[in-house]
Amino acid sequence: MLKAIVIDDELYAREELIALLKETQQIEIVASCHNAIEGLQKVNCLKPDVIFLDIQMPQISGLEMLSMLDPDTMPKVVFVTAYDEYALKAFEDNAFDYILKPVEPSRLAITLTRLKSIVGPTDFTPLLQKQLELIPCAGYNRILLLKPEEIELAYSDQSGVHVICSADLKNVNSTTCSLSLKVLEEKTCLIRCHRQYLVNPTAIREIKLLDNSLAEIITCNGAIAPVSRRYLKALKDRFSLS
Amino acid sequence: MELIFSLLQQLSVYLVIAYLLSKTPLFMPLTTVSGHLSQRIACYVVFSLFCILGTYFGLSIENAIANTRAIGAVMGGLLGGPLVGFAVGLTGGLHRYSMGGFTDTACAISTTAEGLLGGLIHSYYVRRGLVDRIFQPSVAFVILLLAEMMQMSIILIVAKPFDLALHLVQAIALPMIVANAFGAALFMSIIQDRKAIYEKYSAAFSSKALKIAERSVGILSQGFNQQSTKEIAQIIYEETGVGAVSITDREKILAFIGIGADHHLPGTTISSDFTKQAIENCELIYADGYEIPYQCSLHNKCKLGSALIIPLLGGEDKVLGTIKLYEPKQKLFSTINLTLGEGLAKLLSNQILTGRYIEQQRLLMQSELRLLQAQVNPHFLFNALNTISAVIRRDPNKARDLIQQLSLFFRCNLKNNIESVTIKEELAHIRAYLEVELARFSDRLQVEFLVDPNLLNLLVPTFTLQPLVENAIKHGTATLLENGKIEIKGELITRKEQKFVLLQVIDNAGTYQLKENDSGLGLQIVDKRLKNRFGELYGLQMLCEPGISTTAKLLFPLVENRVI
Repeated sequence: MLKAIVIDDELYAREELIALLKETQQIEIVASCHNAIEGLQKVNCLKPDVIFLDIQMPQISGLEMLSMLDPDTMPKVVFVTAYDEYALKAFEDNAFDYILKPVEPSRLAITLTRLKSIVGPTDFTPLLQKQLELIPCAGYNRILLLKPEEIELAYSDQSGVHVICSADLKNVNSTTCSLSLKVLEEKTCLIRCHRQYLVNPTAIREIKLLDNSLAEIITCNGAIAPVSRRYLKALKDRFSLS
Repeated sequence: MELIFSLLQQLSVYLVIAYLLSKTPLFMPLTTVSGHLSQRIACYVVFSLFCILGTYFGLSIENAIANTRAIGAVMGGLLGGPLVGFAVGLTGGLHRYSMGGFTDTACAISTTAEGLLGGLIHSYYVRRGLVDRIFQPSVAFVILLLAEMMQMSIILIVAKPFDLALHLVQAIALPMIVANAFGAALFMSIIQDRKAIYEKYSAAFSSKALKIAERSVGILSQGFNQQSTKEIAQIIYEETGVGAVSITDREKILAFIGIGADHHLPGTTISSDFTKQAIENCELIYADGYEIPYQCSLHNKCKLGSALIIPLLGGEDKVLGTIKLYEPKQKLFSTINLTLGEGLAKLLSNQILTGRYIEQQRLLMQSELRLLQAQVNPHFLFNALNTISAVIRRDPNKARDLIQQLSLFFRCNLKNNIESVTIKEELAHIRAYLEVELARFSDRLQVEFLVDPNLLNLLVPTFTLQPLVENAIKHGTATLLENGKIEIKGELITRKEQKFVLLQVIDNAGTYQLKENDSGLGLQIVDKRLKNRFGELYGLQMLCEPGISTTAKLLFPLVENRVI
């Protein structure tokens, strides 16, 4: 049985697809999400084999969400859409699997057969955005959509990825991010200074050089990030320090 | 006394010459006070001539000349202004000076002064806006009276010896004052007649042209066909009084009214070579039946004897057809109708072009309307169908209801040929649309209607509110993570004692600015159609408080319902 997550903002659309998938008895639905942000969280923590992804969703579309998934843990993706000329053209051009709403059971069966035959990750590069415009974050009881430039620092620990925001952002200091450090590094302006830390170069106030070729970055907001030996040289080069 | 009669006798010849000259085009500029250089030059030439003529027609008396020179000088000034008056006076004066005599200097000075006097009076009347007075014979009479008295005074002052001058003035003063004053009045009366005839002619011409233009307005905008041209031909026939009027397109007669209508039948192919030639070469042809013989090409006993054929021009010098005016054999074309013909052709050509323009506008409007509908279709439709297919599983009765709503929505959408609907119908359209969307966004959308019941029977252009609601969902609430809310408000408001209708669609998304390019076209069409109906002051206004709300405001004046 494949583990699947259904992501669609419309209640009836989710219900219908889940009902059809259950009828096939080949798929186990591990979660159903009503927007991309919730979807990202569930994908990160449940690690499904496949996601059924609606394109038109509020704030973050299915295609934008695709760019936010870590390529290392990317599940298989089946796009689901009622009508979207541009997306459909992109799917056709790149032979990505998609199904149209209302979903036809026989068509769904073909998709499932195809899913099982695929080994290894799919390369979604043609659909991916180079730079992210919004970074979905989950605060306490709320969802935040931050702009990359509003983030000073991002770091990961056992509980996940956290971001520290610039002082301009009132009411928000630090929050949990749904994206991996790797995605943030590749698709935002943040740069790596430590295995577990990313920093926004425009937010650096001070680089404090320590012994043993280590260093510390202090941001405008007063947050501190360690700089490891491995990344110090690159950092110095970037700011033309010797 | 004898001198008075002799002088009046001379004056008669002088006036006959003036009368004859008034028949020539040279006189035309004198009938207006335009201040143009050409008019001034004409004044100078004509009146200098009369000034000199006045001297020659004078009677020699006591080594001086009793004359009517002053008429030219004063009239020149009156009609041409101070500069012309001075120039005419100087010309006449110098000419008189060259003839010698003991009053030569006095006469030269006084003639120049008289010209200047006329000119000053001219300036006075022009400044006061009393140009008409200049042409009154009585005014000319009084001024000449004054001018002659002035001349007599100048002779007394300047001419030497004084005894002789006094004697001369005693002899000539009365005859010259009387003759010049009467002469000027009569001269002015000739000019006034000329002016009246000319104005009457232009008035007749303009009133005819205006009447035809007024009566024919809008007829050809319905199209250039047998029906519309028949109406036009009838109007031209009645207003010009010609024998017959015909309008053709490039191939056949579209309309014919008047003498010979029994065999010039609308719908028959053009057989006249003149007409073919007019269409072919795009030229006006006048077959007067004398120099260029005219014979009806359809029937040899046709009573029509002359024809004026004028091509009707479309854009880019393309001939659309012709308009033909006929007179019967025993009658001649009046000059007015000959001139009018050309103007008529221009008028009709313009009307045909306007008609085509309006037709194109209408087609454009209709295709824009279709576009509005097309915008609705795919995304909404497939999502609606998907929703319904899910609802069938849960609640077949609700699904049946949704299918009803969807049918109602498409039925409203198909009213693409109807210009106006009542607000009630428009709301029904929206409700059907919203029922489907409410099901689709079941847990995330709320809608509220607050419409004044008095508005329900007012007419608005089809698809006025629906695109706004659709826009509010598609680019507004559908992009929200939290719940969407849409309010549809309709109210009557009074501003400066005039009543207006204010319709508003308000959502709680406030995303309008972000998606402007996307939603632009549909909203632009709504705005354009309202402006088209109610005027530039009204239409659609979008207000957006980013992240809080977007308000689409429709404002137009309350007008009595009429079926359009």
